[in-house]
Amino acid sequence: MPRYVSLYSLFLRQRLKILMEYRVNFFIGAVSTLIEQTAGLLTVWVVMQRIPLLNGWTYEELLLVYGLLALSKSLTYLFADNLWTVGREYIRTGGFDRFLVRPVDPLFHLLADRFDHQGLGHLIIGGILVSTASARLGITWDLPHLLYLVVAVLSGGLIFIGLNLITCVSAFWIMDSVPVTRVVFDMNEFAKYPLSMYNRGVQFVLTWLVPYGFASFYPANYLLGRDVGVLVWLGPAVAVTLLLIGYRLWLFGLRHYASTGS
Amino acid sequence: MPVIQAENLSKVFHIPQKDPGVAGAVKALFRPRFQPKVAVDDVSFQVAEGEVVGYIGVNGAGKSTTIKMLTGILVPSGGQVRILGRDPHRERVANARDIGVVFGQRTQLWWDLALTESLGMVARIYDVPPTRYRQLLDQFAEILELKDLLHVPIRTMSLGQKMRAELAATLIHEPKIVYLDEPTIGLDLIVKERIREFIQQQNREQGTTVILTTHDLGDIETLCRRVLIIDAGKLIYDGPLSLIKERFGKFREITFDTASPVTTFTLPTGAEVVAAEERKLVLRFDRTRATASQVAASLMNQLEVVDFSLAEPDLANIIKHIYQGALREDGGRRTEDGGRKAEDGRPELQASLGR
Repeated sequence: MPRYVSLYSLFLRQRLKILMEYRVNFFIGAVSTLIEQTAGLLTVWVVMQRIPLLNGWTYEELLLVYGLLALSKSLTYLFADNLWTVGREYIRTGGFDRFLVRPVDPLFHLLADRFDHQGLGHLIIGGILVSTASARLGITWDLPHLLYLVVAVLSGGLIFIGLNLITCVSAFWIMDSVPVTRVVFDMNEFAKYPLSMYNRGVQFVLTWLVPYGFASFYPANYLLGRDVGVLVWLGPAVAVTLLLIGYRLWLFGLRHYASTGS
Repeated sequence: MPVIQAENLSKVFHIPQKDPGVAGAVKALFRPRFQPKVAVDDVSFQVAEGEVVGYIGVNGAGKSTTIKMLTGILVPSGGQVRILGRDPHRERVANARDIGVVFGQRTQLWWDLALTESLGMVARIYDVPPTRYRQLLDQFAEILELKDLLHVPIRTMSLGQKMRAELAATLIHEPKIVYLDEPTIGLDLIVKERIREFIQQQNREQGTTVILTTHDLGDIETLCRRVLIIDAGKLIYDGPLSLIKERFGKFREITFDTASPVTTFTLPTGAEVVAAEERKLVLRFDRTRATASQVAASLMNQLEVVDFSLAEPDLANIIKHIYQGALREDGGRRTEDGGRKAEDGRPELQASLGR
């Protein structure tokens, strides 16, 4: 474990060094994240100008939900972005073979091989939204609340990563897994809003099948002191379950890895 | 104990079949059909510590697939592999510490990092002690002439520089076994020489076992005493380089210079015309069916020969013959000890294909 931590920091340092070499790319990436996030927020703002209450949720409460989701999402950008392109960039090009002949877990190597700085944009915006919304809503950040927030964001991030891991395994058969990952990942858009405004079917899907609800709606309920029962505590268990399923599938995919010609 | 053991190794790929056009794509989506393709078929061999083995065959013969099973990248469809006693797929990490792999033109170095940084990362990944790393770095920089390249990013290097850098990266953790998949492809002669010397030195001084796939017979001739030949997934030869010529080089070429233009003549038995110019005739004969003196005598009786010369077949031509399937027609699967001579002195070629 300490070995993996020190290897990760080594990879990260080199990644950052390369990023600094391509400053223009870095800048464009940062700006595009900002634009993307601002556009998303603008939609919420426009909607709330017309209807002050959405399904009983105020503007500030919506910002909290939105901010929590952005924080969780930032983790998958920062630490697991290669799950998106393992097929396109590694399996198709044959680069994946290299991971398999190094004395390091191939999944770890894949993840450590990329650090997407665009995640920083999501992290910062998520942080701003959660702190301003909670200030206006009068949420006090005592130790239990702070601890809850950290665990919730970590679980939310791992739920994103777990789902991407599960879908990326298809790359071992179909080479390019981006369309598959995209279909599942894009459902997180629903979780930008309170799940309670959807019908039962959608609620079920976002709670039990693609459980992005645990990355935004359920923790927001806890922080706001609303009651959704046991669900506000299930985030970590859901995240661990998804990761375990994902890793088993990954190992199964690895056995079926066919490499490329030559 | 052999360091590499391959027993009845097979690999079957399932290639998706698609009809042309959009309709075909849609059909393939709902009812995918797969065509099995046998890439490696029942291959067995062993390699002892410190051997340098050349593994040759045409493109698509199954060389890379075999290497990928030996390195643990692919799981065999049948048979088993043991590398230093381990299953390279199940015990991936332990196996990876003991092996080094060069994949032809694909680099393992980081495109944007300077060479020393890249090598430093590789050394960290393999837990090379810092003092040992510095020793090896100095040594490799010397032999591979990398001194001026240490602070240059990989992306700006030429092919030859990249390959030298790649070799340094592959051997920096002092692996016991090295797999080199076409290490000299596309390189100029000087660089080839350097690389061969480096491989030789590692083998001599460290006792490194080397498996080398190549299309360059120069690599084979300078480095390998033992050669494996794979064709259409089957191992058709496993033995010393020197015996390939003896066993498979059954054709000789004989060139005649004649006093007057050649018009008509009867071909000696067992011979065929390779080239005929006005005063020059090149014949090829099967030395298991005729001797040089028979062919020469027969022709000299018919034509006025000024001069003639006999050419030994060179390895390249023999290999070309093997690639073209000459052996498959003979049905010959050769092994080192399988060279029983038949009565007429002709090497026994009806060995155990598809036994």
